[in-house]
Amino acid sequence: MTWVRRLAPHPAHGPSCLTFHLATRRQRRSYSSHCFTGVTMAEPGILLRLRSVSKSYGSTPILYDVNLDVRDGEFLTILGPSGSGKTTILRLIGGFTTPSGGQILLDGTNIAAMPINRRPFNTVFQDYALFPHLTVQANVAYGLAVRGTSAAEIRRRVTDALELVQLGPLGERYPAQLSGGQRQRVALARAIICRPRLILLDEPLAALDVELRRQMQSFLKSVQTEIRTAFLFVTHDQEEAIAMADRICVMSAGRIQQIGSPHEVYYRPSCEFVARFFGENNLLPGRLGPLGGAIRSLETKLGVLRCSVEEHSEMATAPAGSAAFAVCRPEAIQFGENARGENRVEVRVGQVSFGGASTMIVAHPIAHPAQALRMLLPSRSDGASLAAGDSATFTFAADQCRLVPA
Amino acid sequence: MPLGAGMKAPSHLAGEDQSAWRLGRWAAAAPAFAVPLCLILAPIALFLAYSFFSVDHGNVVYSPTIANYVRFFTDPIFLPIFWQTLLLCLAVAILCVLFAYPVAYFLTSLRGRRRYVLLVLLLVPLLMSYVIKIYAVRSILGGNGMLNRTLLALGVIDKPLMLFVFNLNAVLLTLTVLLIPFAVLPIFLSLERVPRALRHASADLGASQAQTFWRITFPLSFPGVASAMSFVFVLAIGDFLTPQMVGGQSGFTFGRIIYSQFGMAYNWPFGAALSVILAAVVILAISLGGRFGRRGERT
Repeated sequence: MTWVRRLAPHPAHGPSCLTFHLATRRQRRSYSSHCFTGVTMAEPGILLRLRSVSKSYGSTPILYDVNLDVRDGEFLTILGPSGSGKTTILRLIGGFTTPSGGQILLDGTNIAAMPINRRPFNTVFQDYALFPHLTVQANVAYGLAVRGTSAAEIRRRVTDALELVQLGPLGERYPAQLSGGQRQRVALARAIICRPRLILLDEPLAALDVELRRQMQSFLKSVQTEIRTAFLFVTHDQEEAIAMADRICVMSAGRIQQIGSPHEVYYRPSCEFVARFFGENNLLPGRLGPLGGAIRSLETKLGVLRCSVEEHSEMATAPAGSAAFAVCRPEAIQFGENARGENRVEVRVGQVSFGGASTMIVAHPIAHPAQALRMLLPSRSDGASLAAGDSATFTFAADQCRLVPA
Repeated sequence: MPLGAGMKAPSHLAGEDQSAWRLGRWAAAAPAFAVPLCLILAPIALFLAYSFFSVDHGNVVYSPTIANYVRFFTDPIFLPIFWQTLLLCLAVAILCVLFAYPVAYFLTSLRGRRRYVLLVLLLVPLLMSYVIKIYAVRSILGGNGMLNRTLLALGVIDKPLMLFVFNLNAVLLTLTVLLIPFAVLPIFLSLERVPRALRHASADLGASQAQTFWRITFPLSFPGVASAMSFVFVLAIGDFLTPQMVGGQSGFTFGRIIYSQFGMAYNWPFGAALSVILAAVVILAISLGGRFGRRGERT
């Protein structure tokens, strides 16, 4: 596809990619003079590296010691509740604010103090920030026009970009004449037309309704796959993060809690916050048993639970008696005669809620009724399920049960 | 739409009661219409009527004629002064905007309280008596005024300059100085309404600060510039006091001619005709300002 070739940010393609490289060299010259850090070797595959970045406004710290790599061509999502500092990271990379400490390395050069307009990144803003006095075409062309690109080149690339975001016929309109989803696409086209090395997206779907949001998620993802440019996507929506990201960086209270694939952060949380953040989960408090092996025991009020640990991990080496949670997803719990697993808990069923494809059962262990244990079952058309008041045995395997520090 | 016209009569009232209710509503709204009707529309209508009368030996002749308008367009005195005044007021409007824009831009670049304290300070002159302000400017511009004395003392000139003394230049300068606050305000308001996110977006797309200003900030503040210009123009063209006090013999403006028709010449109908022409110009200026003012707003 010609579009892909033209957009791919590779030095061998197109004159504007060349401009980027020249710009980078120019920046290096001018920055090495007043930036303390010299040029270090860039690591292949790593586009951008945040090293011990911190930020505070006055005496209020917003970010503590953030270390984050953005890889070439990946879809990286920063996920966290509001106030967790996720947007601040985006603003630091975009250049809208400067870090209080640490480095932002692009090709081994610290760009922490580089002006916004010289960074090879483009942003899709939360409220789109389209220029109201310019047509869709002029909005999209803006980044090229300010660089003095020739009119013919601008026309060609604007047409391509509008086609990519499926807005071809709307070029003459003004932003006020577009729907939310269309504005979103204009903002995206405007950001990709300069062939940035990284596109920053600040909760771009927050203003859309659920249906449109779902459409835009898959649309964004397909555009990203097509142009092979790294996306840094900020959101507070767990489902959105899981649906779109190659990697998720979970943030809370100004710190990175965990970085990993959607599967990893969902099934292998590294801390209590992450374990609680994705949907309903079972966290059973207890004290760690003796050291040793791939399986460690946790003494809880429901009895001793056996949980798998990774070699040399924090939980594998934590001293016996430390407080910890056993974490087990509701869908990993089974019941009945055929259920297999190292951990068995006698429970009385409390609440059964039918949720369409699946049914959530909240039960209370006989040994410790104050604790709630959730089990998610595929629903059955004959309605066979547990009923409130039933006694049952919940079973879950040790490899479905993780430990996180309390 | 008249006051309360959007309100519906309560549906529980039957036919006759409903019309009574409607009548009562009109009666309640009537004073609100009466005041502007009596105090604004009626005098204007009276002027319009007067402009079609004439004067014979100091007495008004109440028979309709268009002689006053014919006189304005054919007499070699009035049209040149009319054009000259338009040009003068246009120059005042342009100068005011040129001076006010940087001031307003500076104000919007300030943060928090300082911005509004400074804005209020800038608007303080509006509270002062107009005549006192004119005298103050006169004392600066006059033959022995501050400007000339400073230039003499500095040795820039060896005798007082008469460039700014009792002529059109003096009128131009005085009007500009007096009307700048009226230009600052609308420009400040329109600049303040340009979202910071747009400037960020512009920089993000690679624009320099100058490019951001000329491509984003300035076009979006254009409604403010247009209304500032029409404000200042309208205020300047209606002013007869300033030209009277600093214009001397050569600084004759349209406002002074109208004033003299009601005073010395004692020709009210002709004065009324000139006023109607002035009013037409003012209405045109305001509607032009409004039209250009809307152009920038597409959100």
